[in-house]
Amino acid sequence: MLNYLIRRFAVIVTMAFVISFVSFALLYAAPGGPLEQLASMQSTTRRPDPDEVERIMKRYDLDLDIGIRFLRWLIGHPRGSIVIGGQEISPNLQVGCLKPGRAQLVYPDGRIEEINCAKPVYLRDLDGRPVSNGVIMLDFGRSQQLAREQPVSQLINTRLGPTLLLMGLSTFLAIAIAIPIGVYSAVKQYSRFDYFFTTLAFFGSGMPTLFTGVMGILIFALIFKDLGLPYLPAGLATSNRDVAIPVFGLIRAGTVPDRIWHLILPVSVLTFFSLAGWTRFIRSSMLEVLRQDYVRTARAKGLIERVVIMKHALRNALIPFVTLLAGVLPSLFGGAIITESVFSWPGIGKLFINSLTASDYPVAIAYLLISTFLTLVGFLVSDVLYTIVDPRIRMS
Amino acid sequence: MASTTADLPAASRGINLRKPESQWGIVLRRFRRHRLAMISLFVLVLIFVASLLAPILAPFPRDATGLAPRFSAPLTANSQTGALHILGVDHVGRDFFTRLLYAARITLSVAFSVATAATLVGMTLGALAGYFRGIVDSIVMRVLEFMASIPDFPILLIIASILITDPKLLPYPPFLLNLVGNLMLLNTVGIERAQVLTMIVVLTLFGWTGAARLMRGMVLSVRERDFIESARSLGANNARIILRHVVPNAFPPLVVAYTLSLAGALTAETALSFLGVGITDPTPTWGNMLQFATNFMLTNPWVPLIPGIPVVLCSLGFNFIGDGLRDALDPRLKM
Repeated sequence: MLNYLIRRFAVIVTMAFVISFVSFALLYAAPGGPLEQLASMQSTTRRPDPDEVERIMKRYDLDLDIGIRFLRWLIGHPRGSIVIGGQEISPNLQVGCLKPGRAQLVYPDGRIEEINCAKPVYLRDLDGRPVSNGVIMLDFGRSQQLAREQPVSQLINTRLGPTLLLMGLSTFLAIAIAIPIGVYSAVKQYSRFDYFFTTLAFFGSGMPTLFTGVMGILIFALIFKDLGLPYLPAGLATSNRDVAIPVFGLIRAGTVPDRIWHLILPVSVLTFFSLAGWTRFIRSSMLEVLRQDYVRTARAKGLIERVVIMKHALRNALIPFVTLLAGVLPSLFGGAIITESVFSWPGIGKLFINSLTASDYPVAIAYLLISTFLTLVGFLVSDVLYTIVDPRIRMS
Repeated sequence: MASTTADLPAASRGINLRKPESQWGIVLRRFRRHRLAMISLFVLVLIFVASLLAPILAPFPRDATGLAPRFSAPLTANSQTGALHILGVDHVGRDFFTRLLYAARITLSVAFSVATAATLVGMTLGALAGYFRGIVDSIVMRVLEFMASIPDFPILLIIASILITDPKLLPYPPFLLNLVGNLMLLNTVGIERAQVLTMIVVLTLFGWTGAARLMRGMVLSVRERDFIESARSLGANNARIILRHVVPNAFPPLVVAYTLSLAGALTAETALSFLGVGITDPTPTWGNMLQFATNFMLTNPWVPLIPGIPVVLCSLGFNFIGDGLRDALDPRLKM
């Protein structure tokens, strides 16, 4: 057990390192950084101010070599000349270049070599330069576009609540509704009930949330409002001002009823979508179990059908369910990108999309890294849970 | 046995001796029984043909703006030519019906290209990994594991947004650009062709893993069977064994996976374009039409239906056909 966990943990660490490297490569390749923005702002009137360019390059470490940049991004070091026992070690190591390619070396034989740096940056120049604590310490640096200079972790923190609420509620509802439907469909296989719900499940999983979301707004927010029926809001998590709706009366902005009122539509859309998958899963898992010998044994020894289904079949049918729960962990954090965009829900998925359209890549990469890490942890948790709920499986 | 049946001509005359049904005949008969799948096939063929005939059916040029006052209602006649704006016009006065047809052509071509390329790549890698084992297998498996642990939609969005903001990052050979451009009737100036091609590349990059996993599993289960052994002892080389003996055995689940990946590619493209990191205006796709539609929805509620209904028809259609094929090809898998 301990051996297994250590091995799995090693895999997670390696994976995390590889993924952080990939993320950094993406960050590096990403266009539209602060420099380009500066250039596009100033190109119409005059050339970018060289001092301003240098300041920005220093601010975002754009002048450093990629290796040093990666280290500073990952672990927050080097932060200046390295001092060991009072002795400065290699303070003159060149770690980057502030202004490329101006100086020329002219050799006696007439060969001209371009020294590719007019303003080299040395290790000691890094003293006192602001640096994050490194991704390892969950410090993802500062936002570049969305909220200038605000730490990314702070941005994520403010968005975490609404996403957890939305995803937690819809996942809980989906599972709570899916289990009885799935079980009943399996017990009464090929009945009318079964056909109805399998078809409905098929529609649910085949319809993109994009479409159901937009249709939901169209019907319940717009048409209902026009018809004078109690309508639902078209987006956001709270109202800006008090709203009076038919039948239910006044809803004060920011109160609990207001929040619930805003939750109904996005939660329904998400629940409908994930309900489809869960129902099908439980149904097929249950069908599998109902065929087993121990179920026949339970029936043969005269147990009442309810006990056979609930105690002997359902409990075993829920075992594979644990693997699906692994996917829940990252989605609780990451939210539903499309649904949040459709409903302008102020959650993390929406933050992610905003960061992409605004080319604020530090935020996007932080999102990617956290989701990946949670996915890996989810895999591990589900594997461990599997051995707990199913003693036939051993870790090795 | 043969002689006994030959001795009984009288009996066999009474029995209706039918020609045995071919494998594909059985599949076709079973598929026809699946009502939703047949309806889906009909609807999809209709949309497909309409998109092929886009230049003939479309009453207006694709990008012509200001044809009528913005958001003119469906079935208003054009003031100059008298031609009908069947579905009205959009926020800059472009004909919705025309753009819907061209968008169908682009969206469906992207979906088919992605599904085909991804399935081919996945099949090849999966077959190689399963057949040769060893180092090929471990490399493919590591990559598969790696891709399984990254949440695919976020990284897809990031890569798409990087590549599509700057399509010059990937140097495409001109013939490929021309092929895509001619197929989807794209403008030759600007970044339109490169953008659509980038979309295909990015979606393929993340779409091949399912087919690879499936193929590898099938190959692993088939390669130790006796008929492979006998094929090898008859002198068949590796390529022949894979292509003639292994692939046909893995075919049924692959066909189903292919159909479902069509739906996946279509929704992914629509979602990316809707979120603004995919194919951008003026190139019409259902996704970016839907994006504009939601912006103007409060005042023009019918507008999101125009691109929304085809999206959902196609997505459901591919899903139902996949389901029908699954039932028809292998009744054991029936849900």
